[in-house]
Amino acid sequence: MLCPYADLRNTRLMSPIALIASSEYLRRVRSKWFIATTLLTPILAVAVIALPAVMIAMSGDSAERTVAIVDATGVLADSVAAALPDTYAVRTTSAPADSLRAEVLAGDLGGVLVLPAGVLDGTARPRYLSRSTGLAEIAGIGDAVEDVVRAARVRRAGASPEVVALLDARVGLDQVSVSEDGDAADGALVQLFVANALAFLIYIAVLLYGAMVMRGVIEEKANRIVEVIASSVRPFELLMGKVLGIGAVGLTQLIGWGVIMAGAAAAAGPLLLAFAPDPATMAAAGEAGLDPAAFSAAFTPGLLTAFVAYFCGGYLLFAAVFAAVGSAVDQESDAQTLQAPIMIPIVVPMLFLPAVLNEPDGPTAVFLSLFPVSSPVLMVVRMSITDVPGWQIALSLALLAAAFVGTIWLAARVYRVGILMTGKRATLADLWRWMRTA
Amino acid sequence: MSPVLCLENVTKRYGQTAAVDGVSFQAEPGRLVGLLGPNGAGKTSTLRMVTAITTPDEGRITLGGETVGPETQRRMGYLPEERGLYRKLRVGEQLVYLARLKGMSAGDATAAVKRWLDRFDAADWWARKTEDLSKGMQQKVQFIATVVHDPALVVLDEPFSGLDPINADVLESVIGEMRSAGRTVLFASHRMESVESLCDDVVLMARGRVVLAGPLRDVKRRFGRDTVSVAWSGPDAWLDALVAPAADGSSSGVRLLRRSAGLATLRLDDGIPPRRVLDAALAGADDVDRFDVHEPPLDEIFRQSVGEG
Repeated sequence: MLCPYADLRNTRLMSPIALIASSEYLRRVRSKWFIATTLLTPILAVAVIALPAVMIAMSGDSAERTVAIVDATGVLADSVAAALPDTYAVRTTSAPADSLRAEVLAGDLGGVLVLPAGVLDGTARPRYLSRSTGLAEIAGIGDAVEDVVRAARVRRAGASPEVVALLDARVGLDQVSVSEDGDAADGALVQLFVANALAFLIYIAVLLYGAMVMRGVIEEKANRIVEVIASSVRPFELLMGKVLGIGAVGLTQLIGWGVIMAGAAAAAGPLLLAFAPDPATMAAAGEAGLDPAAFSAAFTPGLLTAFVAYFCGGYLLFAAVFAAVGSAVDQESDAQTLQAPIMIPIVVPMLFLPAVLNEPDGPTAVFLSLFPVSSPVLMVVRMSITDVPGWQIALSLALLAAAFVGTIWLAARVYRVGILMTGKRATLADLWRWMRTA
Repeated sequence: MSPVLCLENVTKRYGQTAAVDGVSFQAEPGRLVGLLGPNGAGKTSTLRMVTAITTPDEGRITLGGETVGPETQRRMGYLPEERGLYRKLRVGEQLVYLARLKGMSAGDATAAVKRWLDRFDAADWWARKTEDLSKGMQQKVQFIATVVHDPALVVLDEPFSGLDPINADVLESVIGEMRSAGRTVLFASHRMESVESLCDDVVLMARGRVVLAGPLRDVKRRFGRDTVSVAWSGPDAWLDALVAPAADGSSSGVRLLRRSAGLATLRLDDGIPPRRVLDAALAGADDVDRFDVHEPPLDEIFRQSVGEG
């Protein structure tokens, strides 16, 4: 930032904006809060992602369920029992339905699978009775019954064992992402994952640090220090210094998280591979595995640079508005109603995320990735999954910069009136009036 | 020599109301100027324009001939009526930051802050968190923040409100020093009777306008020595009789300004000799401890001026 009042080299004085920004930055970066959130958030994020998987893996062994099979066809029970996942203990029975149902109710039986005689010719459907059924359980039992019954029907129709084997064999689809840098196998899934992750990260970071700017402004007002500051520097300098200082805090934290995650991934990669299913068996089963190498390939330097640029642009755009809202209220709870106009433009682009993921080069996606309010989130998404032409990136960054200049200009007009107003709850109409007249 | 602060026909409107309406006055170096008036008279609005926090809609404010703005802000220290500090910052860092915002280098600011803390026997506050200080200590810190950069013009809004007697004395002595050092001190207050003795010059404001301005002595002289103060012991029925209207309803010519146990200040109409009060007191009270003829107090002058205006 250029120094308007003092030549840096002659007086060795910092410009007010740089001075305020560095004070705002240092105050926060030194705080226990900053150090704790920088270190703990990656751990928390990994925990949130990993915990469900770990819990399923842990619960798998302990909660073995007994399933009774009532087989009216007389030929399917053994095949179904064999096809069910290992976590089921199977009991073939011909006990009356009433008593089995009572056993399920009493909790002695995990469930009852009924295979009517008509299943073989398609005139009846299998039934599964249980107290409560998870989605994974239905899918597991459904898959097993489907496979066994279909094979039995094919055999009854006179097909040879070769045909049955052909029907059972999965085809699968190998996905290859083509780009100038070369072709990457299984790239699409990884790219989708990366696109989602980056979109949410920008969205959350803009909210988090934007709200931090607002809290900082409210705090200065509530502390009554702001009038002293305003007698020393221009309100615009205070606003700009605060926005830049807290932006630097956000950037520091994001980089910190990136370094920690990268370090953890480098350390934990081999460990994860040891636990992950063998790629060979997964390929044989026809399932697309997530290749760790594809992840590092997805985070190209270009994408990371764009991420930082769009975080900065999105943050600056919204932080200016957050600051204006903060200046108009005396305490944080009063900010709720005024915040709605900021929250809507931050949230709405997220609603378009699925559409952009589906058709990343479609006209909607291109427009939204150029439009300043939505471009920070959605351009990064597009860049993760498709090759975005350079001119579009340049144009969207230019539009974002122009939007920021316009927004901070308006925000400053609200801000310089707002910081001196106390005791009166400002409305949106007041803010509009300050913008026009101040 | 510090520069002269000059307001020429300054007006500031908020919506339809003119908070400050054509105000002109000067504040000269080495003098203490009291901007006095009731709440809502436009004092704070005036000070905010002097400190370049807001800009006048009309008129001009200059410091040493230069229109006030970012440049002059560095040569001013401002203590607002609503005072505050960053609660979480340590005292030293806070004061150095505020001084650097005024354009001091980091080194100069640190040295100046240390000097001021020493002067207030508060050198050990440097590393303490501001929120851990008592209210009186915070007031000292706020005051240091106002003067740490050795401003040519010190602007204080209701400086004595909320101060304990010890801090009020400290403030008064520092203000006195600033005056001796040739600084200009402009302060606003609505408590005229208590700040009267401090002022060299007064600017009386009401409803956004200047009612009366000038050196305190001149202002007072203009109103003449028509006020008496009496201190006595014993009964006070004589006082009631003295100020009571005559039987025909006409005024006694003696008006009571202030009254407490054994102490009264009275204003005399033209042609009423002060000794009429003394005679009445000597006749009615056990003893007269003090009798004094002087100019009317500032708040009485203010009331009279507003009434005439």
